[in-house]
Amino acid sequence: MRLPEAPRREPAENIIPLINIVFLLLIFFMLAGALTRPDVLDVRPPETQAGDPAELPDEGVILLAADGRLAFAGRELEPRALEREVADWLADGPERRLTLKADADVAADRLLDLLDLLRDAGADHLMMLTNPSER
Amino acid sequence: MHIEGSSRRRRSLVSLTPLIDVVFILLVFFMLATSFLDWRSIVVDVPADGGGEAGEPTAIVVRIGADGALELDGAFVRDTAALEQAVRAELAREPGRLLIVRPDDSVRLQRITQVVERVQAAGAMRMRLDRGD
Repeated sequence: MRLPEAPRREPAENIIPLINIVFLLLIFFMLAGALTRPDVLDVRPPETQAGDPAELPDEGVILLAADGRLAFAGRELEPRALEREVADWLADGPERRLTLKADADVAADRLLDLLDLLRDAGADHLMMLTNPSER
Repeated sequence: MHIEGSSRRRRSLVSLTPLIDVVFILLVFFMLATSFLDWRSIVVDVPADGGGEAGEPTAIVVRIGADGALELDGAFVRDTAALEQAVRAELAREPGRLLIVRPDDSVRLQRITQVVERVQAAGAMRMRLDRGD
């Protein structure tokens, strides 16, 4: 049987526009997005319409998942250990301010347990992170 | 005169394919690793030691019931818009008062933030979360 000979022609040189577009996309994603480390817990913050625009800080972020699990500085911690870590972190710098990233579905008693713990660790106020709601 | 080169369209020695491979990999990496989430922050005070209104006799207290119902200083409030108006009126009469939000144990954070953003919009500068009972 004779197979038709595969065309050995080189593809046409219209690859340059493709590269241009891909480079543009690459630069867009590099500049427009923020590279963030993935969180250790799955936390979906509540949505609000108001609130001050905020940057996601690099450190001092406490995660509170809907099931009550806690994490600080990239590690999941038990409440007692978290209190110690937070107290140490706050003691290191006088201007340090805690940020709380809590799940929208977390119940008030869990949130207040955490806030009590943070008071014992030496915090007096903190910033709670939210996402602007899409309208 | 014979000009060489311009008409000859020699293919370049460097192949572009590996470059495109690398650029694509970088593109996919940045598409997956970047986040475009916008963040907002709400400042809250931690609960007072002991949980009461100790030392804050003039505080405005907003309760959130388990069903999401709102109470301002013991009086039922219809919705968050009415709460915002009532808090604004209270603060106009006596500015600078602390506002204490007391959610029931089972209230979800989404509901709490809805209330908190309304009382902050009403001008409450200092706000504290505290236990319901």
